[in-house]
Parts: sequence; structure tokens; C-alpha cells
Amino acid sequence: MVQPLSGQAIYVVLLRELKRYWRAKSRIVASVAQSFFFLAVFGLGLGGFLGGVRGSTYLSYIAPGIIGMGLLFGSVFSGVSVIFDRQFGFMKEMLVAPVSRTSIIFGKILGGAATASIQGVLLMAVAGVMGAFQPTVRLMFGALAAIGLMLLITAGFVGLGVAIGSTITDFHAFQLISTFVMWPLFMLSGVFFPIDAVPVPLQVAMLLDPMFYGVELLRWCLSGSITLVLGPFGWLIGLGVLIGFNALMVGLGTYLFSRAEV
Amino acid sequence: MDGISFALEKGEILGFLGPNGAGKTTTLNMLSTLLRPTSGTATVNGHDIIEEPDAVRRSIGFVFQDPTLDIELTGNENMDFHGRLYGIKKDLRQQRIKEMLEVVQLSDRADDLVKTYSGGMKRRLEIARGLLHYPKILFLDEPTLGLDPQTRRSIWEHIQRLNRDEDITIILTTHYTEEADYLCDRALIIDFGKIVALDTPDRLKARLEGDVVSLTFKEPKEIANIRAMLEKKDWIRSINTTISSNAHNTMSRMMHTMRGMPTGEAGMSGMMSGLGGGDVRQVGGMLKRPRQTPTHDKAGENDRGGSEGGPRCLNLLVDDGGRRIPEIVKLVDEAGVVLESVELHKPTLDDVFLTTTGRNIRDERGSFMEMIRRHRIVRQARGRR
Repeated sequence: MVQPLSGQAIYVVLLRELKRYWRAKSRIVASVAQSFFFLAVFGLGLGGFLGGVRGSTYLSYIAPGIIGMGLLFGSVFSGVSVIFDRQFGFMKEMLVAPVSRTSIIFGKILGGAATASIQGVLLMAVAGVMGAFQPTVRLMFGALAAIGLMLLITAGFVGLGVAIGSTITDFHAFQLISTFVMWPLFMLSGVFFPIDAVPVPLQVAMLLDPMFYGVELLRWCLSGSITLVLGPFGWLIGLGVLIGFNALMVGLGTYLFSRAEV
Repeated sequence: MDGISFALEKGEILGFLGPNGAGKTTTLNMLSTLLRPTSGTATVNGHDIIEEPDAVRRSIGFVFQDPTLDIELTGNENMDFHGRLYGIKKDLRQQRIKEMLEVVQLSDRADDLVKTYSGGMKRRLEIARGLLHYPKILFLDEPTLGLDPQTRRSIWEHIQRLNRDEDITIILTTHYTEEADYLCDRALIIDFGKIVALDTPDRLKARLEGDVVSLTFKEPKEIANIRAMLEKKDWIRSINTTISSNAHNTMSRMMHTMRGMPTGEAGMSGMMSGLGGGDVRQVGGMLKRPRQTPTHDKAGENDRGGSEGGPRCLNLLVDDGGRRIPEIVKLVDEAGVVLESVELHKPTLDDVFLTTTGRNIRDERGSFMEMIRRHRIVRQARGRR
């Protein structure tokens, strides 16, 4: 099953993802605007009604979650785009070349992680301008750490997207993926409410959502607060879960992709 | 595919000719390592398709039937992607891209997004891309499907130039007989996964001595009687029933007759000159897939026909056809049947196909989904400007 990797092939597939992302300006604008609406309506609107969470404003509580939303949707869709590559024939061009499928999928995953993370950085800037973060020295390092974290979070979800895209062959399944995969992952990630404030069954569901750890870690980087549910070394647990999820999803995506029919 | 075997010479243009679903694309997919044969193997440029898939992939360029360009990238970027994927070093890559884009006359559009290209330009770009990595053999799967006659001609000329100037061996599939006739040194007629004939177009046509007289009737139901009557005449070599006249591409045939039939003689160089012998590049070997059960019998299809009213045409192979026409018309007239038209032509590959398989190559078959898919390709190829 182990196939030789070609650096050049990985790089060129990655490059293609970046170029395509950069050319689809309307998609970038739409995604940034959507996050802006979420931040404005929920952060400012609902925040004014609810007050703060964990000693900070509601806006600064949900901002990392909204960034997480951009990462999640961007990365899963970027993985699922293998369906489009197949539909529009470009997949054949890649598969008939003398490079392994593993190289192609690694390029795809790196490319998807890079584009989704660029998206995340844009959203982080928007949230910053809206005053979601305290401008401190800690934030400077936190923001840098957040960028690394974004790459870690997204790689796993691109892998998930590739796994889904290699299994289903139908455009119409998109709606199902969105409803049954993306939204639950997003809603349970603790964007809008802290895990300590909800009933136990919901807490369990949230703990099963890998995105929850991603959002908690982003929040820790950007506003310094983290849930106490995970204990004093919560950040370490979160990191461990994300790395494990990554390995699992990249492996699964690669496996399913290399078995898929052209 | 059902146990096919053939060898190809270096520098040759070989055409796979057959109706939709005959197994042309399947064969190419196996030779290009995209599909694993269930049994048997083949050697491409001296490399085994099962043992050395990467070496095979390096030796071939593949222009697929469906478009495989990234339309969100420019022509140049599509080429660059390909060059990097095949590990061509930067300087050589850039020079080669420039060169190939010139060959297909796309240099001035190289930096435009492919989605702004016309169908013919996309096809040319795909051919240029398929040649970027100096393949020894180029596979062209229905290279002109859905293109207008003018673009088709220009693609043909590009293919011939590549074959001549770059010394590239070419295998192409087509269901246009005039394409095989114009381009190919040898044509391989394939039907139901089997090879039914393999020879130069000229020799294939020469097998049918005499002329083809096509009779089209107003009333389809009379056709069986007339056929029975004509079958008794010993000067008629063979009779085939088709839905429409087998002579409806007379125009394009005239065009390349005037241009002097450039293919013919080149194919005289030894056919099937021994597997693996001397400097013969070997492509082919035994390829086997489970045979699909034919879903119809030949006579049945012809009698029932596919369009409303059933077949309306009889194709007769006769000696000295021009002199026989009055006699044929008289016979039909005496039987009290109304003729719509009579056509006379020299045997073409269409007729060869008809006599070897009993069917007209243009009589569509294949699944409904396949039809829709092809319809889509044709539409895409005509493309937005």
C-alpha cells in the first residue's frame, strides 16, 4: 500500500489548489462576509442580550468559533472537491501520470489545508478589526500559534473531505454531507456556548467532536481562556486529539482515494 | 475485450474503428495502465503494463475522450502542471511548452484561462499537453468527437504533422470511418470486444471488389421482399440492410480524394511483422475481459431497426455498378415498389465495416446513459466562446 512520494507532484497539486483558490475571489468574499455577519449579529446582537462569557465579551468568546467555522467548511469542501476533479475529467490527467496516488492526495490535503488556513487568517483579521481580541503582547504570539494550529485542524478535515469525496460520486449528496457532517461538527464545537454550561449528554457529544478541541485551542491562543472540563492540561489533550484525528483522517482519505475508481 | 492481440510498428498511425461500446476505450485504458486486464498482458514501448506501469506511463501521452483540462487555469498553467507532474526540469519544461504551444498554434492564447477557449482550441491544447513529456506513443481517444468539419480537418493535420515531424507512434480510436481512412496507416475494426479486421484502409476497401449501390425506399415494409428478390441475382455479391444510406458522407470523402489520400502506401510496410522481432515496437498482446453477452442478434437489429419505420435502405455490392443501375431500378419498378433515391459509390470503410460486422457503424447502440454522456461531450466540445 505504501507508494513512493514525489515532492514535485505534491508541490504542483498544492500549487494548483492555491491558484484556484486565489482566482475564485467571489468565494473568498462570500465566506468572509458570512463570517462577518455571524460576528456582527451573534457577537454584538446576542452578546448585548447575554452579556459576557468567562469574563470576556461574547464577541471575543465566539470569534475563535466563527474562525473555526471558516476552517471547517473550507477544508471539508476542498477535500470533497475530488468529486469535481473526477466529474470534470482533470482527475484522469493526474492519474495517468507516472506518480503515485498518495503524492496526489498529499498535495491535495496540503493545498486544502493551506487555502482553508488563509481563509482563517482573513477571518482572524476581520474579528480583530471588530475588536474581538485584546491587543496584548500575548496576542502576537497567540496569533502566530493560531496559524500553525489552523494548518493542523484543517489537514484532518481535508482528509475527511477526500474520504467522503472518494466514496460518494453524486453531487446531490452534497446537501446530505452539509446537514449531517458539517453542521453537527460546527454546532457542537462550542462556538456559541461554553461546554460547562450545558447538560451532560450534550457535553459528551461535544467531547466527541474533534472540532471542539480545535475551537478551544484557538480560543486559548487568541483570548487566553480555555474550558476547565479538560483539566489543567486541556491544551495538551486538545493537541493530542487533533494530531490523532489528523493521522486517522489523512490515512483514511489516502486509502479510500487510492482505491476509488477513476 | 475478448482475447485480442495485435502489434504496432514504430512511427505508425493505427486506428481502432468500431461503434460505441465496441471496446475501443477499454483497450486504451488497459494499455495506459488505468485499467487492469482480468487476464493477459501487453507490452508498450518494451515495458509490461502490469509489471512496469510507471515506465509505461512515461512512454505514452493520452488524450482522453472527455475533456481533462482544468478550465480555471490558463493554457500555459495546464501545460506547466503536466510538465511538473512528469518531472521535466524547469528550463527544458519552459522551452518545450513554448514549442508545443506553437505547434498547435495556441501561443497567443497561452495566458488566457482555458474556459475562454473554443472546443477545437481545448482539443489542440490537450494534444500539445499529451506530447509535452516526449512520449513515444500517443493515445488519442476519439480526437475529433463533436468538432465541426473545419476544426476536425485542422486536428487531423496536426496529428499527421506530429507523426511525421516528431516521429510519434499514434493509436487513435474513432467511429468516423473517414477519419480512419484519412489518417491511419492501418485500421483495426473492432466489434463486441473482438478484432474483425486489421489492414491498411486501401486493402480493406480492396477486399470489396466492385461498387456499392445504395437503394433508399419510401416504404420500409417492402424492403424484405425486394431483398429476397435481389438475393437471387448472381451478379450481386452481397446485400446489407441499413436504416439510412451508407453513402451520406460523400462530401468529406470527395474532399480527401481530391487531397490525394496521403495515408495508403505508408501502411504497406509489413503488417504484423512478428511479435517482438527486430526494431518492431510492440504494443499489444493478449487482453481479456469477460465477454459481454451480445444483447441483440445482427439480423434482428437490422430488421427491426432503431428509428421509426425501420430500415429503409439496401446496400448492394455489385460489379460495374453504374451499368447495373438501370436493371436494378427496372426490377424494383416491376415489383411495384417506390424508390426514393439510388446512390452509387466506390466501397468505403463504412462499407467494409458493414460487410464485416453486418451493421452500419453509425447505427447508435449502447446504453441510454452512454448516449447522454456523449451528447454532453459533444455539447461541451462545441463549447462557449
